[in-house]
Amino acid sequence: MSAHPRQRPSALSRRDFLRRSLGVAVALPSAAAILAACSKPGTTSSGGATTGTGARVLARPDDPVTLPMTQDPIPTDTPIEGGTLNVYNWDAYMYKKTLKAFEDEYGVTVEWTTFNNMEEGIQKLVAGQVEADVFFPTTDYIARLVEADLMQPLNHELIPNLAANCWPVFNDPGPYYDLGWRYSVPYTIYTTGVAYRRDRIDDAAAAAKGYELFFDPAFKDEVSYYDSYRDAIGMMLLRDGVTDANSSDPAAIGKAKDAILDMINGNGARLTINGTYAKLPEGEFSVSESWSGDIVGAKYYLPKGTPEDVLGYWYPEDKRGLVGNDTIVIPKAAPKPRLAHEFLNFFLDKHWGYQNFADWNGYQPPFTSIVPDKLVSDGVVPSTLASAVLDEKNFTTGYLQGELSADTDALWLDAWNEIQAGG
Amino acid sequence: MASGSQTVTRPGRRGRRDARERSGVSYPRWYWPSFTFPGILWLAVLFILPFYVVLSVAFGTVDPLFRLPLPVYQPWWWSLDTFQTTLEKFTSGDRIYLDPLIRTLVYVGLSSLICLVLGYSVAYYTARYAGRWRWLILVLLISPFWISYLMRIYAWQSLLQPDGYVNDALGVVGVTPIIWIGRPITVVLGLVYGYIPFMILPLFGFLDRIDQHLLEAGRDLGAGSFQTFRRVTLPLSKPGIIAGLVIVSLPMFGDYFTNNLLGSTSTSMYGNLIDSAVGQAGQGPEAGSLVLILIVLVMIPMLYYLRSTRRSTEAA
Repeated sequence: MSAHPRQRPSALSRRDFLRRSLGVAVALPSAAAILAACSKPGTTSSGGATTGTGARVLARPDDPVTLPMTQDPIPTDTPIEGGTLNVYNWDAYMYKKTLKAFEDEYGVTVEWTTFNNMEEGIQKLVAGQVEADVFFPTTDYIARLVEADLMQPLNHELIPNLAANCWPVFNDPGPYYDLGWRYSVPYTIYTTGVAYRRDRIDDAAAAAKGYELFFDPAFKDEVSYYDSYRDAIGMMLLRDGVTDANSSDPAAIGKAKDAILDMINGNGARLTINGTYAKLPEGEFSVSESWSGDIVGAKYYLPKGTPEDVLGYWYPEDKRGLVGNDTIVIPKAAPKPRLAHEFLNFFLDKHWGYQNFADWNGYQPPFTSIVPDKLVSDGVVPSTLASAVLDEKNFTTGYLQGELSADTDALWLDAWNEIQAGG
Repeated sequence: MASGSQTVTRPGRRGRRDARERSGVSYPRWYWPSFTFPGILWLAVLFILPFYVVLSVAFGTVDPLFRLPLPVYQPWWWSLDTFQTTLEKFTSGDRIYLDPLIRTLVYVGLSSLICLVLGYSVAYYTARYAGRWRWLILVLLISPFWISYLMRIYAWQSLLQPDGYVNDALGVVGVTPIIWIGRPITVVLGLVYGYIPFMILPLFGFLDRIDQHLLEAGRDLGAGSFQTFRRVTLPLSKPGIIAGLVIVSLPMFGDYFTNNLLGSTSTSMYGNLIDSAVGQAGQGPEAGSLVLILIVLVMIPMLYYLRSTRRSTEAA
């Protein structure tokens, strides 16, 4: 049995011996691991993470954050690596033809590993189970990934397409969660609104009801709501007139929770993640909470013969609704960081980024070249879904959801647990 | 005979014992028990170690940065705080976890009963009357398992749509379309569909082994068909019934994707609570605590089963 500082020199009882043996036997048999085992887990660095979330300021649009540089970016003259680029992303979030074009241009192979939710994605990355060159986190994880020293800063000279093609809010001064875009580039932007079947609700009625559509008894058992606590509670906060989409007010969260339970128990709403793009086109749902990209991409799921104009999308006319974006980052341990920079630049290319969106994703990139009216006139977005197209103004008027403190997150999750348990 | 070892003998096999004694072969005391070693290793690696990890997660903590579960392997650092908080969600305040637990007990009870009634009928027919067709029937019963359970439940999800084939078929006899998804009856029938083969096969095994002569003796002594069934077949198949009930009900307690696909949050089961906690940041210890509480709960039917099989072995 390895020596343990807490082991008493006097004779141990058989129970003590077995108890301590088991604890140490399960731990890694290295000196470093044994030293780490001396102190209580969770109070020192684990997996590269450091404590100090209490000291770190949570980034907000009116309180933007410049992330610390943990190392120098790779030099501009680093040669582009060959071989296989490991991309760690959500499933079905990239167009295979765009990936193929990247592979052909650089003579490499792209290996795409997926995760089902951000917690799973982060867990595997932190534990080192996935070796990724490129990762797609949500904005609320960026600061934490930097604090845990799991990301590398970007060399801006290698990603000229960001400044050339993207909205200024993402490159100058940079997004509020990463001023100067030191670690991240934007991938897609989206609003969260209410999708509906236009053959069952007319546009004027939908516009008049807005968020109340979920509670309309005319659509009992035909309502879908996102099985995602930030989107679900966030939307009900707005419905109640709470404009802080990161609210830490227990009363406001409680009210939002009650509204969701009312929607489920009173109007037969179901929590799904594919309600908009898979079920609404089939007619199973009439009303569905929806990200803008889901409803734009839903046309590919319409049964044969069903016209595109059955799909409708409501979002507040004053653009004061939920808005967000996804990002692309390069993990610190990326085996091919130079090639990864090329990948980021490729997806920020006017042509390839647009192809990824228009021919597959439905999720719009924040390009200055994308003119909402042109998207409609080109048929990329049906005219009935014009409200699903974003412009830069969305990011000044909309409500962004950022990282929550541990206590606030616990409030949200407690409410969500009650919803999941049936109320 | 050397101390610490024993000569292997079997009553009634005098010839072999004499042969061994003549040859001088004797086995050490640990020899025959050592044959259990592969099984013990299997149990240790695939049950005890993972169970210890569950304990370490339940009584552990979370990483302060990402709030991922941080197992604490040293028992002296274990904390019962989260376990206590989880238990309180069943017993005090709004008791938000109590409803899913009661629902699970009801759904599992109902589904197991339906599995028993339907499964017994099928097993009885197959064992007693199917004759040369019995193996074909058994193969047909098992063949759906060649397709993953998830795919089969997805298929049912499609069939049970408001405009699905089930409603179309019911519409032929004048029934108006029913909303199936999200209803308790759909979840119960989904569980029955998924687990009934686990009831049929053990029952078939027991019913098939019942000695025909016992049944004939019952008839000879004046019992009618039903009486023979009630007083001979049914008692003899009791171990099979208990085995079948245990085999179907235990996994049902932890089932979550049947409700995910065919139900809704208002029909959420215990497994959905665990699934939800596993997927949320900061809730790892709560998920572990829920698993431990479930283990204690299902110990009750397990202990009854063990006691009942031990009694039957002793009686035999």
